[in-house]
Amino acid sequence: MMNPAEFLSLFSLPFMQRAVLGGVLLGVLGGILGSFLILRRLSLFGDTVGHSAMLGVVLAGLLELPATWTLIGFTVAFGLGVIYLIDRTDLGSDTVLCISLSGSIALGTIGFSYLKGYRGNLLSILFGDILAISNTDLILLFLLLAVTLAWIIISLPEQILLTLNRDLALVKGVPVRNHRYFFILLLAITIALTIRAVGILLVNGFLVIPAASARLICQQFVPFLATAAGIGAFSGVMGMVISGAIDLPSGPSIVLVQLFGFLAVALWSRQV
Amino acid sequence: MHQNLSVSQSIVTVRNLSLMRGEYLAVDNVSFELLSGTHTAIIGPNGAGKSTLIKSILGLVEAHSGKIRLFDGTGKQLTRLKQEVGYIPQKFPFERTFPLTVSELVGLGLNNKQWWYSSKRKRKKIAQALEQVHLTKQAQQKIGTLSGGELKRVLLAYCLVVPRRLLVLDEALAGVDATGELELAALLNNLKQEHNWTILEVSHDLDLVSRYCDSVICLNRRLLYQGSPSTTLTPENLLQVYGALVSPTSHHDEPSRIPESF
Repeated sequence: MMNPAEFLSLFSLPFMQRAVLGGVLLGVLGGILGSFLILRRLSLFGDTVGHSAMLGVVLAGLLELPATWTLIGFTVAFGLGVIYLIDRTDLGSDTVLCISLSGSIALGTIGFSYLKGYRGNLLSILFGDILAISNTDLILLFLLLAVTLAWIIISLPEQILLTLNRDLALVKGVPVRNHRYFFILLLAITIALTIRAVGILLVNGFLVIPAASARLICQQFVPFLATAAGIGAFSGVMGMVISGAIDLPSGPSIVLVQLFGFLAVALWSRQV
Repeated sequence: MHQNLSVSQSIVTVRNLSLMRGEYLAVDNVSFELLSGTHTAIIGPNGAGKSTLIKSILGLVEAHSGKIRLFDGTGKQLTRLKQEVGYIPQKFPFERTFPLTVSELVGLGLNNKQWWYSSKRKRKKIAQALEQVHLTKQAQQKIGTLSGGELKRVLLAYCLVVPRRLLVLDEALAGVDATGELELAALLNNLKQEHNWTILEVSHDLDLVSRYCDSVICLNRRLLYQGSPSTTLTPENLLQVYGALVSPTSHHDEPSRIPESF
C-alpha cells in the first residue's frame, strides 16, 4: 500500500490520466450500448464477438498489420457476419453464436501456433492493459461516444420500441434492419476498443454488469440508460483508484467494482 | 381525425392472396376489401391463418402470391401512412424487469415528430389515451407489474394516442375481464362511429362480433364466407368453418349493452 503523496503523484502521470479517462469513456459506452444489449437478449453476442477477437489479434500478428485497426475491422466484420447468419437461418441465435465462437477460437488457436517470435503477449490479449491506452485510442473513444449519443438521441423512441417489440416497430415504419445493423457496428467497435483495455475475457463485463445493475433499480427508460452509463463511468474511476492504491491489475479491478456494485444493488433491491 | 373520408373509400384491398408458413400453405387465394369506417372480424379455428393474414396486411409476413394494397399508398408515402396504422398483437412477450412505465409505452405510440413535443403537451395526450382505457392510476407503474388484461388496455391506449385510419387487433380483448371486454368493445365502436376508424380484428368471441362488427370474414385457410354477422354467423356456416357445432350467439336479438360512460 502506497502513502497518500505517492498515490496522488501516481495520478499526475500522463499514462494514468489517459487510463482513467479511457476507463470512464469505456464505462459510459459500455453502459449505454450494454443497456440495449441485455434488453435485446444479446449478452451472448457480446461474449462471442469478444472471444472471437483472439482470431483478429492473431491475424494482425500474422499479417503484420496495426493491432487496433485490424481488431476493429475484424470485430465489425465478424459481428455483422454473425447477425447476418442469425437472420438468414432458422437455427436459434444461441446455436449460431456457439458455432461462430468455436470456429473463431479454433482458427485463432491454430493461427497463434504459426506466430513467429515472442508470444508472451497472450496474457495482454486475454486481460488487456488499460495503462497502455494511447491518445489515438482516446480520440477514437470520444468519436465513438459522440456518434453513439447522437444516434440514440435522434432515434430514442424507435430504439425503445424495437427493443420492446419488433413487430410494433415494423408496423410503425421503424427501419428495424438498419437500426439493428448500426447497433452491431457500434457494439463491435466498442468491443474492439474495450479489449485493448481489459482483454478478451473481461470485455463482456463492461457491457453487461452496469446495465444489469441499472435494470434492477430503474422504472423508466431514460433514467435506466443514464444510470447504466453512470455506473460504468464510476466503476472506471473507482477501479483505477483501487488498482493504484493497492497495486492490482487495472482492468480486473474495474470489473470487480462493477461486480460488487451489482451485488449491492441486487441485495438492496431484494433481487437475490 | 379523418371524418371527411367517404365511407366507401377502400382502406385495404386484398387480391388472390396466398401465404406460406414454412412449407405449409397457411392462406389460400383470399380476396376481400375493407372500407373506411367499418369494423370487420376475421373468425375461424386455430391454425386457420387468421393471424398470418393480418400480419401480411401489416407487412410483417411476405405474400407468396397475390396483392395487398394499403391506403392506395406506395413507397415513401406508404411509410408515412404507416404511422396511421395501430396494431395490437396476440402475444406481447417481454421481461418483467423491462424498465418502461405505462406512460412511456403509450408515448411510444406518438408519431416521430410528436415525440419531441414539450413534456406538458405529450403528457396531456398520453393522459387522455389512458383515461379512455381507465388506466390513469397505473400511468407511472412499470409495465412488468401489469396483468395480461391491463397490458391489452395499455396497448390500446398506445394506439389511441394518435388518430389512426386503420386499427388491427389480433385477439386484443382476450384476457380482459368481462366488464372490461364490453367497455373496450364499446370504445372501439365509438372510434368507428365518431372518428371513422377502420377496424380489423381477429376474434373468437362470436357474441361480441355479432354485436359490434359490420362484416365477418370466415377463414379456414380459404375464405369460406363473408358478409354481415346476421347472414354469416349461421349454425350451418359455423359448422362448415369450425367443423363442429358452434353456437353463433345467445344475444343476437338483445339490445347492445354499451356502458353509459362511453
